Amino acid sequence: MEIKTLELNLGGIRTLQARTQEYAPGWYVDPETGQPVYYDTVTRNFYTLSGGVYLPLGYMNPAPKQVSLGPGERLKVSISYKYSGPAVSGAVERFCVGIYGLFGFNEQIVGTNTRSLSQSTMPLTYTGEYTFTIPTSVGTDWDDIYCKISGGSPGVNETIFGYENALVITGKDPTISEFKITDFVKV
Amino acid sequence: MLEIALAPLALQTGNFAAGDTLRVTVSFQYKVGVDTSLTLRAAPYYTNLFGKHLVSSCAGQCDLLLEPSSEVIDKVAAVDMALTPSSLGGIENGTYGLVVWLRSGNSTADPWTLPSPLARGEQDNVMVISGNSSGGITDTFSSMMPMLMMVMMLGMVGPMLSGGEE
Repeated sequence: MEIKTLELNLGGIRTLQARTQEYAPGWYVDPETGQPVYYDTVTRNFYTLSGGVYLPLGYMNPAPKQVSLGPGERLKVSISYKYSGPAVSGAVERFCVGIYGLFGFNEQIVGTNTRSLSQSTMPLTYTGEYTFTIPTSVGTDWDDIYCKISGGSPGVNETIFGYENALVITGKDPTISEFKITDFVKV
Repeated sequence: MLEIALAPLALQTGNFAAGDTLRVTVSFQYKVGVDTSLTLRAAPYYTNLFGKHLVSSCAGQCDLLLEPSSEVIDKVAAVDMALTPSSLGGIENGTYGLVVWLRSGNSTADPWTLPSPLARGEQDNVMVISGNSSGGITDTFSSMMPMLMMVMMLGMVGPMLSGGEE
């Protein structure tokens, strides 16, 4: 059976120890949108306020393409990222398919890989992939994907990236053809 | 047992009596990714100036389960429909079409109601229904009522018109 692919680029990642604080906690203005955003030093992320809920800013993006697939078909998600820093063992690449909405990402199917990253002073490119088999219980709204890399020893800075509306779930509704009355009989 | 062979869109007209039960067999092909429950329904219909009208009292239905398949599967299914006599609120004598349709779940919506069914097969004037009793005291009385009314009215109006001329 054909494996359909979707690729994501996580950009650069660093170890937590190597991270330097770039922002003081507080409110900023997003230069792209002009909307106020809050920087949290604990999660080291920007947040925007939506409906009383703070949402991490900018980890979901419009999908560059859509992949159509149905129950029983396989989807290969590929990621790439660059890493420089001390050697890391046990970092986790996490792949999720689910529903992204107002209250965040509702994970439906998840896959993980454990990775070791080499010590390097220059950013080295790494790639990872995970192949999902779409379950029969798939919902037609399972159309979002995100991936992240985190954890390990020493821990890498959690880096997350996703695509909205990346999938088109088909095959949930039957396709019927050649429908005809062949007979009718008095019984 | 009366058996009539039908070809798609070239169904031959059959004669049936009110009170008969008909078993309608359909065939189709499908492809679906998950277990899917459908409702197969069949019913007579008639056509007039305002369109097609289902004889709902005679509609039959059954449940179908489609098993998942990524390949096209041939499926045959049958549904029974009872031609309820008109005296019980069913079908009148006359000529009717036959419509069979598939909808998701247990929907009982008409075949021409939006959203459209998943599949539909129909043909006009394929069933001639007879056998409903044409009479009885009540029917005879009903057919004579207009004439009786006219006679009674003439009987009342006549003396008034000729009144005082004795």
